[in-house]
Amino acid sequence: MAPSNVKTSIRVKALFFGGLKEVAGRAEECVELAPGSRIEDLFAQFVSRCPELSRYRGSLVASRNQEFAAWNTTLESGDEIAFLPPVSGG
Amino acid sequence: MAPLPISDDFILLVHESINANAMVDHVRTGGDGAIVTFDGCVRNQSHGRRTLYQDYEAYESMALAKMREIAAEVHTKFQIDRVAMAHRLGRLEIGETSVFIAVSAPHRPAAFEACRFAIDTLKHSVPIWKKEYFEDGAVWADGELPPVPQDTPTRKSAS
Repeated sequence: MAPSNVKTSIRVKALFFGGLKEVAGRAEECVELAPGSRIEDLFAQFVSRCPELSRYRGSLVASRNQEFAAWNTTLESGDEIAFLPPVSGG
Repeated sequence: MAPLPISDDFILLVHESINANAMVDHVRTGGDGAIVTFDGCVRNQSHGRRTLYQDYEAYESMALAKMREIAAEVHTKFQIDRVAMAHRLGRLEIGETSVFIAVSAPHRPAAFEACRFAIDTLKHSVPIWKKEYFEDGAVWADGELPPVPQDTPTRKSAS
């Protein structure tokens, strides 16, 4: 039914900053996901590997390609997704 | 949305000392009667604990984009002439400038209001983080969550 050239996965870059970077144990990682995945799904994939991250879900915002984005934003291959703790510049 | 090009503004992230004089000179023109500056600097204590130094990090590409958006918004809200805005990253010692903003305008009320708006907006919407180092450890400073789009029940169309 599906055309043979349909992609079976997408690849995005995930970035972590501030204290979250220390919890996640990484600053960035490229991740493969099913097409149609949302930012929420990407975060859940990290939580499955690092359950400690789930405690931070309520105090984070996400961005997609340098713009703040809702958690149910659908990902596309090549996206740069960042998980941002409360900002404290100035 | 990309901000409107405002070639007379001066927006930057730096890893060395901020040259405040150069920023003030940048916004000074013959048509201005006022320049208001904000100099944000590293305090020697936080909640009663003595601070040794601070370390700033940024999501640099997004931080610059957000700072440019703030400058563009300042131009739409206030009758001002030019904006210069710099944030420093890396290790800063007590008393050093972490953020500097200069706004010029024909008249002082707009310059004061625009400068205040710019620093307040920067503090809650630009992805920069501060780690405070004390004698007995280090903590990421309490911050503010930027306003973000809420989840929508249906997939958003591209706009």
